Order: sequence, then structure tokens, then C-alpha cells
Amino acid sequence: MNVISNLSRVAQSLEQMVLNRCIHTTSITNRVQSGRYRVTLKKNRPLTYEMAYQPCHIAHKKSWNSWNTSNIDGGNRVMETTIEDMFIRRFMTGTWHALFVSEIIIKRHHNMVRIAGIILRNLDPRKIYFLTGYSEELLSYYLHCPVKIELQTVEKREDVVYKYI
Amino acid sequence: MSLVARLCERHSVYLIPSINNLTVVRSVTKARIPNTATSKTDKGKHYGFRILELIPKPPEKQQRIVKKIQALPPRMNQMAVDQDWTSVWPGQRTFHPATVPLPVRQGYPKKNEAPPSKYGNAELMKIPNFLHLTPPTIKRHCEALKKFCTKWPEELDTDTSYDKHFPLEVIYSNYCYSGPSIREPMARIVSFRVKLSNLTLDQHAKDKILRLVGERYDPESDLLTIVADRCPIRKQNYEYAEYLLTALYHESWRKEEWENEKTLADMEYYDWDLEQSRKNLVTVYAWPEIPQDYDYENIPNATEYKIAVSDLVNNGEDDFSVNKYKEAVKKIMFWKPDGDKPNEK
Repeated sequence: MNVISNLSRVAQSLEQMVLNRCIHTTSITNRVQSGRYRVTLKKNRPLTYEMAYQPCHIAHKKSWNSWNTSNIDGGNRVMETTIEDMFIRRFMTGTWHALFVSEIIIKRHHNMVRIAGIILRNLDPRKIYFLTGYSEELLSYYLHCPVKIELQTVEKREDVVYKYI
Repeated sequence: MSLVARLCERHSVYLIPSINNLTVVRSVTKARIPNTATSKTDKGKHYGFRILELIPKPPEKQQRIVKKIQALPPRMNQMAVDQDWTSVWPGQRTFHPATVPLPVRQGYPKKNEAPPSKYGNAELMKIPNFLHLTPPTIKRHCEALKKFCTKWPEELDTDTSYDKHFPLEVIYSNYCYSGPSIREPMARIVSFRVKLSNLTLDQHAKDKILRLVGERYDPESDLLTIVADRCPIRKQNYEYAEYLLTALYHESWRKEEWENEKTLADMEYYDWDLEQSRKNLVTVYAWPEIPQDYDYENIPNATEYKIAVSDLVNNGEDDFSVNKYKEAVKKIMFWKPDGDKPNEK
């Protein structure tokens, strides 16, 4: 009898434990932070157009930074394209150090990779030409596709600021 | 020890004039400039004493001179109104505000403001543009390609003429993807489509081919579709589909021994000529004589009756077919040869 009563007590406590584990009594925090910027006290945080709109506004108020067919339904090379895009972004920001004032736009047409963006006019034009050729050459070597870099220049950082928050 | 040595030294100095009486010893103290050097690089120039600064001045900050890069004015300012746009924008390219002489704007506007202008606008650079495909450019492309084109054959003027001259339709797909690979597994699939009426088939062959192809035949459009996708390359699939079609055609024409054993119960459709209905009709018509052969050619309205019965059984019962059957039966039963007396049966 003792054994049975003990067993039943153990079973009860086990059940309680399982129930406790399953049910959460705290409220859910659906916190999403990426692509969102806080408002500053002095309202002096500069935002570009891209930064001013949240990721949920993609395809409504702003468009994608990567254009390719891997993202469509049934597209191939999904993983390769994503990793390559990450690599291109890192390569470009590192090579064109502190020059890009916009996101790096990567557009893929068939075999061609087009990299677009807005840079500052801080650099000597000769150096810009060199960096363009250098990046195109190295990236096409890495990616096994022809790469074209199509840049636009602005005089100062404020030229791309959309609003201050 | 050192004290002794110094004493000796001093003595020796004093001894020198005594040895050489003609020497006049004169010492001159030079006033040195105070060391006012602030930066480290200047230190080597001044050897004077240092000035004590109770509150040292902060070192002077060197203003970094940013070289102003002079940019040329936008190219669009120099463009003529009647310029050749095709040579300005010959191929696909990302939007560039200085080259496109249009006051385009893109972006969601802020309140009481215009949308963002084209300068420094990343949104305009993202979207695909068709500035390289203006109507004059396309016209020029067509002109350039014209010399490679041949005349369209006059026989192929309508859609029905295609079916007549090209009864076999081969369908396959090419896929364009953004990526360095041109391989696409879906591109291997080849479909052959042919109208069954374009094949030379007799009744037995048609029946057999329909049994062989099963659901690949669409009775509504009369199309036979063969899809080949089991080989890895399109050419192999094409050849396999060719083989299948050939084999199907010849197999349907071949009559095997066991095919003669087909009975009425094996019929896939109601053939009135073989059925009991025909015998009944002829027997009843010839009664009381026993008919020698089941020939219904001389029975009036028998063909109409045959069609009505076949439709009723083959296509299922509905109001139309039942009514048709009823009319056919009435015509056979109450047929008047001269319009005065009804037929006996």
C-alpha cells in the first residue's frame, strides 16, 4: 500500500512539473528590432530613405537591395546567391572604405552581377577608377561571372538624408 | 677616491699657466636663448633652458585640409535636344541622374513635400529601367536584324494550316536564371503532342492505340500527349519520345492472335452492329419469316434508330438522348409506307 501511495504521489508531482513547464504565464514579447531606428531626444539622427522605412514597407514604399531569381518561388541557387551577396557587401564596404552612403544594391541579370550604390566624392577620380576596376576584376574572379560596378556620387553625406528623427 | 682625483685635476689645471706664462686664460659665458619649443620636432633646434609652464598650453591642433574634389557639371546640361539617345544609353545600365535628362522622382513623399529627386536616390538605382529599349532603338535593332530574316511561307497563313503542315508539336522549356549556371533540371522535359486524326489508323488500330495510351489522350481536343522526362538530357528525352510514338503507331497496327478472342463483353463501347439490338430489329421486321442475314439496309429509319440507341448507351441517359430514342422508336414502329396504313411492326 505504501509503495502504491508513494508512486501515485510521484506521478502527481511529475504531472505538475510537466504542466508547469508547458504553460507560460508571462506575456509574449514579439520584439522586432532589425531595420528600425530609435527617435533621439534632439531629433538629429539622420536617416536615408532606405533606413527611414521599416522592413515591412519593402515592395510598398521601398524596394529590395538584392534583385535575383533565387528569391522567387522555385528559384535555384538560393544558398549560393545569399552567401555571395553577403560576401559582395563585405568586400565593397571594406574596399570602398567609408565611402558608401547608401546600401549596396546587387542586381543579377542572367550571368551578370551589377553592383550599384551611392558614394561620397571624397576620393580622387583616379582612385575611384582604380577601385572600380580592382573590385570588378577581383569579384568576377571570385564569383565566376562578369561584374559591373555602377556608382553615383554625392558631394556630402547630407545629400542622401531623407529625414532626421 | 674621486675627491682625490678631482683635486689632482684642479692642480693640474692651475699648473698649466705656471708652465706656460704667455697663455692668458679668459672665460666667456654665452647667454643662451630659452627653449620655447613646444612641439617635439622643434626640440633639436634649441638647447637653452626650458621654461616652466605651470599651466601648459594644449598643443595646437592641425586642421586637416580636405581636398575638395571638383566634380564636373551633370552631363545632361550639355545634351542637345535632338541628340541620339541610343548612343548615350546603348545597353542595360543602372540609372544615373547626371546622364538621364528627365526630371524623374521616386519615393514615398513626406507630408506636403514632393517625392525624392533623382540625385542621390537609391530607389531609382534599384528598379530595372528600360532606357536602353526606347522605340527608336528597337526599330534600329529590327532594321539590323532584317537582313538575317527569311520570308514567311505563304502556306502558313492560318492556325489550321500549321496543323496541316506540322501535325507534330514538340514542347520544351528553356529557363533563364540569374546565376553563373545555365543548367536547369526542368529543361529536360519534352512533350510530343499530335492529333489522333492526323495519324493513319483504322478502327482496330485506333481502338488499340487508345487502350495503350490511356489517359494521355484527350477526347475533347483529340490530342495525344507524350511526356518524356526520365532521361537527364533533353536530347535523350526527345529521342525517347520519338521512339515511343513510333512504337505506339506500329504496335497499334499489329494484330496479335489473342485479339481475335475479343467478345462482346470486352467491348469498350456499344457497337450496335454487333449487339443483340440489331438482330432483334431485323427479326421483328422480317417476322414471321426467319431472317437469312442481319442486314438492316432495307428497313426504313433503321439508321436513325441505330444512332439513337448507340448515343443512348455510349453517352449516357439524358433528356435529349432519351427523346431522340423515343422519336426513333416511334418512327420505326408507326412508319407508314404510303401515308395511309401503319406498318405491321
